[in-house]
Formats: sequence, structure tokens, C-alpha cells
Amino acid sequence: MSEPATTLAAVPGAGPGASPGGGRDGRHVGRHVVRRVAIGLGVALLVALGLQLAAYQQAATAAARSQERREALVAARAVADVVSAAGDDSAAVTAAVDRFGSRLPAVERIRVIDLASLSLVASSQPDDGAPRRLGRDEKTLYDRGQLLRSNRESNVQEGLARKPLALLERGAGGRLDVAVPVSEDGGAIRGAVLLDAVPAVAVRPPAWWVPLVLLAAALGLLLAAAALFGPRRVLLNVLAAVLLVATVGAYGLLGAGRLASDRSDEAAAVGQRLADTLATARQVTAQPAALDPAAWDADLLGRPRGEIGAGGEVDPAGLERALSASRARLVKLVAAATTASLVLLLFIGLGGAAHLGSTLRKHREAYLYVAPAMLGMIVLVFFPFAYGITLSFTESNLYNTDKGITEIWVGVDNYVEILSDWKVFEHTEDGLLWRYQNFYWTLGFTILWTVSNVAFGVTVGLFLALLLNAKGLALKPIYRVLLILPWAVPNYITALIWRGMFHRQFGVINQVLALLGIQPVSWFEAPLTSFLAVLSTNGWLSFPFMMVVSLGALQSIPSDLYEAARVDGAGRWQQFRSVTLPSLKPALVPAIILSVIWTFNMFNIIYLTSKGEPAHATEILITEAYKIAFEQYRYGYAAAYSTVIFLILLVYGVWQNRVSRATEAVG
Amino acid sequence: MAKRKRLGSGDELPHLPIHLIVVVFLVYTVYPLMWVVSVAFSGQQTLMFVNLPPDAGTLDRLRAIIPWPSHFSFANFTSVISDQPFLLWLLNSAIVAAATTVLGVFLATTSAYAFSRFRFPGRRAGLMSFLVSQMFPGVLMLIPLFIILVQWLGLGSSRIGLVLVYATTAIPFCVWMLKGYFDTIPRELEESALIDGASPATIFLRIILPLAKPAIAVTALFSFMTAWNEFILAATLMNEETLYTAPVGLKFFVGGFSEQWGYFAAGAIITAIPVVLLFMFLQRFLVSGLTAGAVKG
Repeated sequence: MSEPATTLAAVPGAGPGASPGGGRDGRHVGRHVVRRVAIGLGVALLVALGLQLAAYQQAATAAARSQERREALVAARAVADVVSAAGDDSAAVTAAVDRFGSRLPAVERIRVIDLASLSLVASSQPDDGAPRRLGRDEKTLYDRGQLLRSNRESNVQEGLARKPLALLERGAGGRLDVAVPVSEDGGAIRGAVLLDAVPAVAVRPPAWWVPLVLLAAALGLLLAAAALFGPRRVLLNVLAAVLLVATVGAYGLLGAGRLASDRSDEAAAVGQRLADTLATARQVTAQPAALDPAAWDADLLGRPRGEIGAGGEVDPAGLERALSASRARLVKLVAAATTASLVLLLFIGLGGAAHLGSTLRKHREAYLYVAPAMLGMIVLVFFPFAYGITLSFTESNLYNTDKGITEIWVGVDNYVEILSDWKVFEHTEDGLLWRYQNFYWTLGFTILWTVSNVAFGVTVGLFLALLLNAKGLALKPIYRVLLILPWAVPNYITALIWRGMFHRQFGVINQVLALLGIQPVSWFEAPLTSFLAVLSTNGWLSFPFMMVVSLGALQSIPSDLYEAARVDGAGRWQQFRSVTLPSLKPALVPAIILSVIWTFNMFNIIYLTSKGEPAHATEILITEAYKIAFEQYRYGYAAAYSTVIFLILLVYGVWQNRVSRATEAVG
Repeated sequence: MAKRKRLGSGDELPHLPIHLIVVVFLVYTVYPLMWVVSVAFSGQQTLMFVNLPPDAGTLDRLRAIIPWPSHFSFANFTSVISDQPFLLWLLNSAIVAAATTVLGVFLATTSAYAFSRFRFPGRRAGLMSFLVSQMFPGVLMLIPLFIILVQWLGLGSSRIGLVLVYATTAIPFCVWMLKGYFDTIPRELEESALIDGASPATIFLRIILPLAKPAIAVTALFSFMTAWNEFILAATLMNEETLYTAPVGLKFFVGGFSEQWGYFAAGAIITAIPVVLLFMFLQRFLVSGLTAGAVKG
């Protein structure tokens, strides 16, 4: 196998004590240390500052769009107030709309529609020919008015503001289409004001050179320190980490300042617009008292933002409230970027990346061969396992799988619910009533199921093996093949066959009982008979394994041992106990361990034969977990249930490992 | 079974009682199989081979429990193939099992080769993680797999999802088995090829794979059987009747409120015969492989 030597791998990380001028090797090592730390800092800063820059860019765009929306909403609501106040006076409505259309900046068109008469009452553009009935191609306008009306009605019925009372859509070229309702005196919606605005607020993008300057400054400082103190690994890494945090923090502070000034600029601009619009509205309306400017700067659900007073003045307290929410988001972002980049810096700076790279390169053949299987295992085995454990701490179910883990997190509630329910039975008027869906009932039944099945399998298997082992037994190969058959049949088929044979009315087992004069038994209607049914089913398919294992082990016992035992005067039973059993032990112990786990997890027999009947009495742990998941759709609870099963198996595994080691030591 | 010198000649058990006892157990073993064969060939959908009159005598009742149909008919076989979508389900199973085999063998041979021949960081951890993964209970995996495959990847009711899961779940057993076999192939063969200038890929394809043919065959058959016999994952993921695999389809015949036992029996025989034969061929490999320390549930 070719193993290309790599220069990086050959260089051990220099300790802090490596002297700067200590010969050629020292200088060589030193260059590596400085280079690594510098690259680490550069990459980490690129990531952290780049993330922040992208976030600020996004925030700036969002701020401009938000200002446009607020201004358009203020304008539309002002018009709606005026139109509402004008009532049926269509001349006043037309005059007001004309006036608004000419006065409001960035507003392309204002239309007022009436829902009852399906008409366009007024438009700021003379070409529209208002007033007239709405045309067929203007159905969308009517639909928007109708939507506002039905939204208001459902809000009133539910007593809460859940559906928007203003519609806002962005059309081609960033054009804003706003629709707000026109109300009657009682509050019922009569029509709508439809306002089209063109985008008028320029995005002020964050300066791209600021992070670059910060990056250069940080790198310069690092290199200066390297020149000053020499290539000292730990020192330089610590310094780089400090520089990283300082730089990212400084840029974060700049960003926070920018955020605050953007927000107050936005509020001031909207406030100014509100004041201007209010002045116009006062001029065109006959009833200035009907105007409600405090409600103009509100969100789509009609909740006032509280940043701007009724006269357009900015309310500092309200602005601060709005700011603190955005600031908290920013802090979270900066903290995440810092942590991620710090890990990256130390990974590169301390040589982890170089080491990883050289390892990957040195063994690339091996990793190439392992990668496909490992990838598959990670995606479809290890990740699902970890995800399953995570789910066990949530209340995930069929209806909330699209929600984030944190939203449905319930801590250890599921485990407490499973494990703290000790009431296996309760006393009722009808006497003792077992609660079959209790965890401890199911656990107890699973243990009973496992122990009795394994005991049956071992006894029958070993017994048959001893019989077949008789010297010179005729037909032995035929017996062996026929007795192995149940193991070969797929177990879901076995389960369904036995389900049919235990059928109450037509099942062959009740036919046999009838022949013996016994009344037919409803096998799956009582826990005991149901248990006997699944036991005989599983016993049928599990003894051949034990038989084959025992037969193999019996054949490897040297006959001298029996000779010696006989010479000592041992009888047949004594020979069995002192020769056969000890010789079988090495083969039987692993087989028993294996079959305990198989039986414990024997899903198909329970799920298909007894189906847990009656009333979950014969459910084992994994079938119960399956039913919780896929019949009750409680994924989180089922995941916790399964995790408990896993822990039980884990404890068993550790225990049996110790026991089998002890038996090996004794043997 | 080569040497026949176990118990001394003076300590021989009488053979007749042995035969009698073994025959009792043979009845227990073979009766359910005979029963399913009889139902399949009875040509009826009921559980009974004969129709009992209400005043049935002892002889009639005896006749009802002897697994031998009153008249032989292939009706269940022909109609399960032609009238029911069973052939389609068999085809689904065959496609899934074949794809699983190909993918499983590819994944297992490559990584087993690396684990056997290369020494690299993470080798022990990788091998151990494969072993540990066998402890994960199937149901615990089923819930996240269901969410990942159905809700995230949109692979519910798709054969691809099944194949991916089957192939990966078969990996650990196959890797351990193949690694054990690769370890027994002498390294001198590869070293001489290396001197001749062969690349590792050539060595793997031209030397190791041909030498490991028996082990690869066993791995392939094992993967095939895993996929062919799997019931619960297929039942959980496959909701469309046209995409059922054979096991899900067999359950469909007799699950819930339908009682088409004739179709079930005929279908079960068709489905089981290939794997029963395969199993008979494979069982000696399985026994040695399983008892060597694997803990698969």
C-alpha cells in the first residue's frame, strides 16, 4: 500500500518552549506555527464576519422593505378613514381620493370599491372611469375586499385577532398592493381601499470594506505579535482567539449601532409620513374627529406598533421595545458566529486541521473504501438513533413534526410518565382490574415471554439433539432436515399460520379439542390462553436453533471422556451431568444469550399471532412501543419507550458479558 | 459427522423409543406446514379442508384435522397469481431484494476489505460502532426512520427507501463476516502483486474478490433473505397497494377483516419455498457466524 509521506504530518507541533532562533529545525517549525495560526484566524474571521455581513445586508433590505410597507399602510388607512367618514357622499369620496392621489408620494393609484354594489366608487386615475361597476377582469379586487370582510367576521366570532385586516402583496418590480377595509358605523366592512405604491425607499447596504479592514487589522496585529514574541504556539493561539472575539465583537457593536440608527431613521421617516398624511386628511375630510391616526402605523392584524404617536412624533420607549427584540436576535447571531469561528480557529491553529488533512491523505485509500458503508450507517443508523433519543425528550406526534425540536421539548416528562406509573392493577367494584397498558405489566409479560420461550427452546432442542445423537440412528439425516424446517420458514408466515390454527371457529386446534370432547376455546380472549398460543408458536420456530447448536457441540465431545466416566462407575445421568453438560456449555451459553435477545425482540409473532389480545395483555415491550408510535401517533412518547427498551438491553448486554467472561474464566 | 465413535458400544440406548419420541416432535414440526399446504391445495378460502355437517360424527371430525384436502385443486395458486396483485407484490419483493443484495454486497465488501487490510485511525472505533449498532432495537430506529424517510426525504411508499434501509441494516453482520474471511487470505498474494506494480484497486478486484467468492456468496444470500423476509418496515412504509412487498401482501390477505386463507396459503408457499431452500443451504454458515459472538435481534 503506497503511503505518501506528507511534510505536514512530519512536523510535530512545537511547544511553547521552542526557541525562536534555535537552529534550522526551530525556524522551520516556527514558520509552520505562525502560518497555521494566521490561516486559522483568517479563515475564522472570514466565516464570522462574512456571516455577520450577510445578516446585516439582509437586515438593511428588510428595513427598507418594512419602511415601504409601513408608509403604504399609513397612506391606505388614512384614505380608508376619510372614505369611511364620508359615508354615502360619493362626491366627497372622489374629491378626497383625487387629493390624496396628488399629494401622497410614491403612491401610483388609489381605488375605492364598494362590495354591496360591486362598483368602483372612485379612483385617483381618471382613466379608470370611476364610478362604474367592476369589470370581469377586476374580480381580484372584489375578492380582496371579500376576504377582508370574512377575516373580520371570523375574528369577531372567535373574539381574537387571528386573521389579517389588511392585505399586502408585492407585485412585479417590487410594487406594493395594499388593501384595507372601509367600515360602516357599526364596524361592518362595506368596501375596501386598494392602494398601489411603487418602491421608493433605497436599501442602504452595509459597507463591505469595514469587515475587510477589521480582518486586516486583526491579522496585522497577530503577525506583529508573532514577530515580537516569536512562534510560540499557545501564546499565539490565545492571542488569535482574543483578536477573533474582539474583532467579531467590535463588528457586532458596529452592527448594533447601525441597527439602532436604522430603526430610529425608519420610525422618523414613517412618523413624518404620518404627519404629512394627517395634514392632507384633515384638509379633505368634513369630520376630522373620525380620523384615527394612532391606528395607522399598525401591523396587518391591526395591532399598533407603538413607535409613533398620533401626531407623527416618535415615541422613544416604544422604539426601544421594538429595538430590544432585534438586538437580542443580533446578540444570538454574533454569539453563534463567534463560537463557530473560535472552534474553527483553534482547530486550524492548534494543528488539528493539518493533522486531519494529513491523516486523510495518508490513508485516503482506506477511507475511500470505508466511506460508502460508513456514510450509509451514519445517515440511516447512527443519525436516526441519535434523533430517536432526541425525540424521546419531546412531545412529537403526527401533527407537529414540522415544528422545531425546541418548540416541542418536554424534558424527561415522557420517561416520568412511563416509569412512575406503578398502578399495574386497580381495585374497582368488579374486583381486581389489571391495567395491561401499564409499562410494568408489559415488562413483566416480556420477561415471562422471554424466559419461558428460551427455557422451552433449550429443553426441547437439547433433548432432541441428545436423541438424534444416538449412535447409528436410522433416518437421522431426514429427521434433522425436517426438524430444522420451522427455523427456515419466514417467521411472519409462521405467525399467520398459527393465527389461523388457533382460530376459534374454524381453527384446527379447536377441532382437535372437539374430537377429544372439549369445548372450543377462544384462544385470544383470555391472557393465559393467548400466552399459551404465542408460546407454542414461538416455541415451534425457536427450538431448531438450539437443536442444531447442541447437536454440533455434542458431536465434538471426544468419546474418551465418556469412557473415563464409565470406568469411574458413572451412570448415564452422572455422565450427562459431569461430561455432556460441561462440554455443551461453551456452545450453549452464546446461543442462549442470542436467543434471549431474539425472543425479547420477537416482534412478528406477538404482532401477528396474538396482536396483543386481549386488550394489550400479551403485548411485549417492542410491539407496545410500535403501537404507541403507529396507532396512537405519539412519536415522542414511543421514542422514550423504545429508549427504555434499549437501556434494558444494554444493561442485559453488559451483565451477560460479565457473566460469560466469568464462566470462561471458570471453564 | 465423520467419526462415529461417541458412546461406547455397551451403553447404547434402544432405538425404538427414540424413533417414537422423535416422531411425536415431527408431528409438532411438520403439522403446521402440512396444514398450510392442505389449505393451499384445497381450492377454498376457508381454514377447513372439509366442510363439516352440523351433526358430524367422530370420523368426520377426524377427517377434519388430517391435513389432506378432500380434493386437490390448483385454483388458489392460479387465482392468487392471476386475480390478485400477488405477482406484482412478488415482483416488488424481488426488485427490492435484488437491489438490496447488490448494494449491500458492494458496501460490505469494500469496507470489510479496508477493515481487514488497512490500518488507519478510526478502524477500531468503526468496527466497534458496527457491533454496537446491532444493539439498537428495531422499533427505536423505526420512528426516526419513518420521520426521516417519509416526512423529510419523501421516500414513503418507495422501493428506494426500503432498499437503502435494508442494505444499511445488513452491513454490520456482512462486514464482520467478510472481514473474518478476508483475514484468512494470505497477504503474500497481495504483496507479490504489489511488487508487480498492481494498484490496491486492482488487487481488490482481481485478487481478493475472486478468492473471497464463497464468503461473498453467503453475504449476498444473507442480504437477499433479510430483504425478502422483512415485514414490519415494509408494512409501515408502504401504503400503496401496488407497492406492497410479498410479506405485506400476505398479511393483507388475512389481516383485518379479510379471511382469504386460501390465497394466503398459496402465496405463503410461493414466497417461502425459495428462502427455505436457501436457508437449508446456508444454515451451517449462519450457525457458526451467529454463535461467534454477534448479538442481532
